[in-house]
This record gives sequence, C-alpha cells and structure tokens, in this order.
Amino acid sequence: MNKGHRGMMFLIFLLFGILVSVQFRSIVQSDSKETITIKELAAELEFERAEKARLQEELNNLEAEREQLLKNIGEKLNNNEIGRLMEKRNFEFFRAGLTPVKGKGIVIIMEDAPEIGELRIDEYIIHDRDINEILDELKANGAQAISVNGERVVTDTKPVCAGPTIIVNNNRYPPPYVIKAIGDPDILYEAINTMPTVAFMRLVGIRIDVSKEDEIRIDRYHLYESLNDVFKDLEVVNSEDF
Amino acid sequence: MKTFRTVSLTFVCLVLGIIIAWQYSSVKTNQVLAQYEKEDVNQLIDELLMEKENNENLKARLQELQREVDAFKNNERGDKQYLEELQQAVLNARIMAGLETVKGEGLVITIKSGGLIPVEDRHIEELINELKASDVQAISVNDERIVAMSEIRNAGDYIMINARQLVPPYTIKAIGDADKMESSLKLLAGVLDKFEYYDFEVEIKRDKNVIIPAVRDIPIDMLTPVDQ
Repeated sequence: MNKGHRGMMFLIFLLFGILVSVQFRSIVQSDSKETITIKELAAELEFERAEKARLQEELNNLEAEREQLLKNIGEKLNNNEIGRLMEKRNFEFFRAGLTPVKGKGIVIIMEDAPEIGELRIDEYIIHDRDINEILDELKANGAQAISVNGERVVTDTKPVCAGPTIIVNNNRYPPPYVIKAIGDPDILYEAINTMPTVAFMRLVGIRIDVSKEDEIRIDRYHLYESLNDVFKDLEVVNSEDF
Repeated sequence: MKTFRTVSLTFVCLVLGIIIAWQYSSVKTNQVLAQYEKEDVNQLIDELLMEKENNENLKARLQELQREVDAFKNNERGDKQYLEELQQAVLNARIMAGLETVKGEGLVITIKSGGLIPVEDRHIEELINELKASDVQAISVNDERIVAMSEIRNAGDYIMINARQLVPPYTIKAIGDADKMESSLKLLAGVLDKFEYYDFEVEIKRDKNVIIPAVRDIPIDMLTPVDQ
C-alpha cells in the first residue's frame, strides 16, 4: 500500500512536471505570430520600395522631358525675355542646390568602431549629433555644397540616426557614412582634423578618414515632393522683379 | 524501504530541478527573442511609414510636374504662359534657397538663460531640428535666416549663425503648421521639458504674420554647375 502510493506519487509528479513544461513551451511558441507580422511588414516594405524606385524613375523622365521642352521653346521663340528668364532659372536652381556641382574640397569617411572596449557601448557608435557637429564645422569654415551619402544637404536636411543606420532627406543609408564638402580643401581639412569631437571618436576606434580632393562632384537635391505643398503657408514679401 | 524513499525523493527532486532550470532558461531566451522581434516590428513600421510618406510626396510632385509639362506642350496662351511658368520656377527656387523674405502663420519663440547655464548652440540646434521634423517652411534665429549652409555655433558667450554674432535673448521664428510645431515641442520629455530643466526662460507666441527675412548671400564662387 505504502509502496504503491509512493510509486504513484513519483509518477504523478513526473507527469505534472512534464505537463507544466509542455504547457509553458506551447504558450511561448504561440508568440511566433509576430514572426508572421514581420514577414508581412517586410513584404509591404519591399513593395513600397519598389514603388518608390518606379516613381523616382518616372519623375526623372518627366524632369528630363521638361528640360528638353524648355530648351526647345527657348530656341524656337528666340524671345529675349524668355532667354533671360531661362538663364535666371538655371542660376537660381544652381544656388538652391537643384543642380549637380563640382569643385575642390574634402571627403570624410566614417565608420563605427570595429570592437567595443571598456567604455559604454554608446561611445563606439557614430551619432547624429556627431554628424551634425561635423556638418556645422564644415559650414562654418566656408563649405559651399555638402552631401551625406550622396544626399545633398539643403535647408530642410537634418541627419537622423536610427540604430545602426542614418536617415538623410528621408532616405536610409547604412555605414560607412561619406560626407563630401566643396570649399577650400586646406581650411576644411584642418578644421575637421582639429575638432575635439573627432579626436575623441578616433581615440575609441571610430574610423574617420579625411582626404583633400581636387574634384568632388555633388549631386543635386532631388525634389521628390510638391513645392507648392512644401511652401504652402509662405507668402513672398516684396520680391524683386526678375 | 528507507533507501527506496530517499532514492526516489532524490530522483524526483533532481528531475524537477532539471525541468525548472530548463524551463527558466527557455523562457528567458524566448523573452529576449520576443524583445528583438518587437524592436524589429517597431523599426519596420517606422520604415514603412516613412516610405509610404515618400511615395505620397512623390505622387504629388509627379502631378505637379505633369501639369507643368502639359502646359509647355499645349501652349494655349502662347509666350505669356512660358513666362509665367518660368517666373514661378525662379521664384520657387529662390524661396527654397532662402533668398526671399517670406510671411505666414507660425510661432515666435524667445529663449533666455535663467542663470543656471547659458543657452548654447546645441540647444538652438535641438529646437530647430524639432521644428524641421514638424515640416517647418522657414526659420530664422534673431532674424538670421536658416539656409542650407547656415552654421549654428558657439563663439564665447555668443552664438554664430551665417557668420553673424547673435546675442541673447534668442528669438526663433518659424512659419508652418503652428499646432504641429507647438505640440512636438511640448512633447513629454521633449525640447521644452529639457529647457525647463536647464531653467531657461521660454516664451512661445503664435502669430498670423510672422515675417522671416531673406538670407543676405549664398556664396557659390567655388562651385561649378555640372550638366545632369
């Protein structure tokens, strides 16, 4: 009786243990619904990206068509006023960052530290404030055109870091981060290499290569949104005649 | 008899111990996994929203451009229409570059140190970045228009913008959606909360007629335009 009782107790406990364990595992596994959500989201994202590429191409074609039309009109009409306005338009597009440009300057290549040392993990990663500080330094030292990973820096631009990547002009780029700046190469080179922030970043192993270049090409700002929307609340005061 | 009891009890306890340990470790790794997945989902959703917004903007721009191209093609009103289109394009580019004085509804924000710490470049920059995130259309600090190549830097007790020394109090003017800008500044643990912590004296006023002056100059002597 006693012996049988004990044996049964043993079995019951064993079963109970297995049951609890199985139960737990199945609960945890039911969480994998999230995996499906991730797959769905990733598929949707792929779709939007493909759509974006298609729209951008369409836009580029349309822009090319417009340029051609404008050119033809200018030639055909041979109207002085239109010719003058065309010139003015090219000049203002150039000043607004809507034209690709080239010139002397520097190229900065940055990458997170390859390994983590004794400091907080934070110290080995490039932050948006570091990039903003470098951009400010370039601007203060007379840079006339800047791009970050190919994205032209315009009034609206603000590099935002999101985890291990960077968002510039609403597009995401992984490291290495490449900053190009047109200006006096010697002044820009000196300014960047003497920044305390840069010295500290180098100390922890973050890669910051600065090189002077005789010819840097910086792409135009791609206007991927409606200008009337962007400036919808602005009214121009006392514009000069042109 | 006694031996059997001891042995069986030991055995049960051992098995239970192993199960619990196994259980614990599996729950723990699963929690870590779930955390990763959650982060991924959030990031994916952010990314998706960003790309959707990009595509909406692209579509709007395409329509705008299509109208322009159509206007050039079906030259209905003759030369006059070309002139108008060209003038508009020139004006838009000048607005974008910050070369036009502009007026509109927005915010006027005044910041002064409360004595604890001075107002520095990074504070102004943080505020401006927050405004940019709320689709601001024009910004100035003490009437210095913020343009693409504007630097914001400390220089002693001053702040330099567009190579001009500015002295406090700093007045930031912003034209755009005032509700959106104000609520993003007033977010919990946002910029204004931080400023309060630094003991800054901040005043925010809404104004229907904020006037933001044009930038004085955009130097381009080192740039050569390139054909596309």
